[in-house]
This record gives sequence, structure tokens and C-alpha cells, in this order.
Amino acid sequence: MIIKKLLTFVLFILLSTPAFNQMVYEFEDPLQEKRFYSLISEIRCPKCTSGSIASSDVPVSRDIKNKVYELVLDGSTDKEIKTYVSERFGDFSDYRPAFEGSNYLLWFGPFIFLALMLIIFFIKRRV
Amino acid sequence: MSHLLRFLIVLLPIVVLIFFAKILLIDEEIQLSNYDLKNFPEFQLNDLNGNPVQSDSLKGIKVLNVWASWCITCLVEHPFLTKLSEQNIQIIGLNYKDSDLKANAWLKKHGNPYLFSIYDPRGDLAFELGVTGAPESYLIVNNQVLGHIQGEMDQRKWDTIFLPLIQKAKQGS
Repeated sequence: MIIKKLLTFVLFILLSTPAFNQMVYEFEDPLQEKRFYSLISEIRCPKCTSGSIASSDVPVSRDIKNKVYELVLDGSTDKEIKTYVSERFGDFSDYRPAFEGSNYLLWFGPFIFLALMLIIFFIKRRV
Repeated sequence: MSHLLRFLIVLLPIVVLIFFAKILLIDEEIQLSNYDLKNFPEFQLNDLNGNPVQSDSLKGIKVLNVWASWCITCLVEHPFLTKLSEQNIQIIGLNYKDSDLKANAWLKKHGNPYLFSIYDPRGDLAFELGVTGAPESYLIVNNQVLGHIQGEMDQRKWDTIFLPLIQKAKQGS
């Protein structure tokens, strides 16, 4: 009997903690809600080795989520919000690197490499 | 043709290897600290004594150190900051998500290496600066952020990150 009570208590504690941690973001417009959740899954948590702010509950991620929420409600575009965050927390914060400058290497690098390999492959076959 | 091919087969992996080695061997601390030149954000906050902070207080060469009384690592780097302040390095504190009572008590207990500390209980200015937690330090020259160190400040980081930037700034002026 005691064990059962204890187990119930432990389960209660284990299952109830996430409820305290989760901040609730309310939206009247479902489109804004969709944009908010897609944005926070594309912004990297600056304190984590790898993870989005959506998956993180460290204070700075919470601050960024609150700011993104505020900006979405204010009517900022996705691009404006990402620029706002990356201006403060660096390009590192964006999980989808912008299509510009030194990032071209990141986007095209694998294809260039593949093309080179194919060229070599075909030259070799001809020889 | 086969010469070219043999040459490529040897050369390509070497190029790729050097390329990735270079990326992997970059010291992350130093990479993070290389801020693009950017202006210090506008702010209206008081110091820990309740006096408004003047914007011209960030002129000249200043180190801005983000700290809080709840931050354990801040206590670890505190002796080093005290040493810097004794060498006439001007350090300004940014008291982050703290209460002024606790912060002032902390300074009284452990000593105060700061010219003054900006009181930022909600972390507004810290957010604008891209602070991810305490402690962090910024090198500010004439209202512009030139360097950024995340985590504990020590002699090695000071010598390799901030000191060269200070010397460069002094040469430039």
C-alpha cells in the first residue's frame, strides 16, 4: 500500500513538472501561431550545443521566444524576426543559413564536390 | 589525361582535408569573440545606486562585464577582474537579472572592481547585446563593441582576445 502511494506520488511529481515549465503562448490568428512555432524551431539556442529555442528552456531561449512572440504579434515578417535575432546573437542563431556571401559555399559546396567527383568518374571511365 | 587524373586524385582529398581541418581547428572562443564593428545599443537604465547612466560613460576603452550575485562563475572570475582594475583597466558592470539589494551586498562582500554597475533587472540591455548568460565580457571602444567573451574571463582569454584588440584600437586613435 505504501509502495503504491509512493509510486503515485513519484509519478505525480514526474508528470507535473513540465506543466510548470511550459510558457503558454496564445494567438488569435492561427497563421501567426503557425509562424511562431516554425520560427522558434529554426532559431538555434545560443546556450545549447545543438538544439532550437523551441526545444530549450534555458533563460536566454525563453527571452528569445518571448521576443519572437512579441514580434509576430506586432506583424514583423519572418525575415525581419530572424535578422533581429541574428543581429544580437550572430549568424549562428539561424538554423537555415541565409543565401548570401560566404554561405554560398555551404549551400553549393556539396554539389560542387559531387560535380567534381562525377567529372573524375567519367574521365576515368574513358581512360 | 591520366596524369591530370592522378594529380587530381591526390590533390582533391588533400584540399578537402585541409579545408575541414582549418574549420575544425578554429578555437571557438576566439571565433565567437570576433564581433563585427557595431554600435553599443541605446539604453536608459540606472546604476546600482539609482543614478541614471550617462551615455558618454562608454567613451574611451572600457570593459563591460555581465555579472549577477546568483552567478557562481562570476565569483570565480572576480579576482581576475579585481587584478585588471588594479592595472587601471576601466571595467563597467552590467548587473544582469538580479536584485539591487543582493547585488550591492555581493559587491560589499567580495569587493567592487567596477567603475559602476548598470542595473538591468529584466535583462533588456543584455538582450540587445546578445548576452546568453553570466558571466560575459565585452570590449567597448568609444561606444562601439569590438570584442566579446562568453564565460569566465581569465589571463589567457584576456591576452589572446582583448589585449590585441586594445592595442589595435590604441594604434588607430
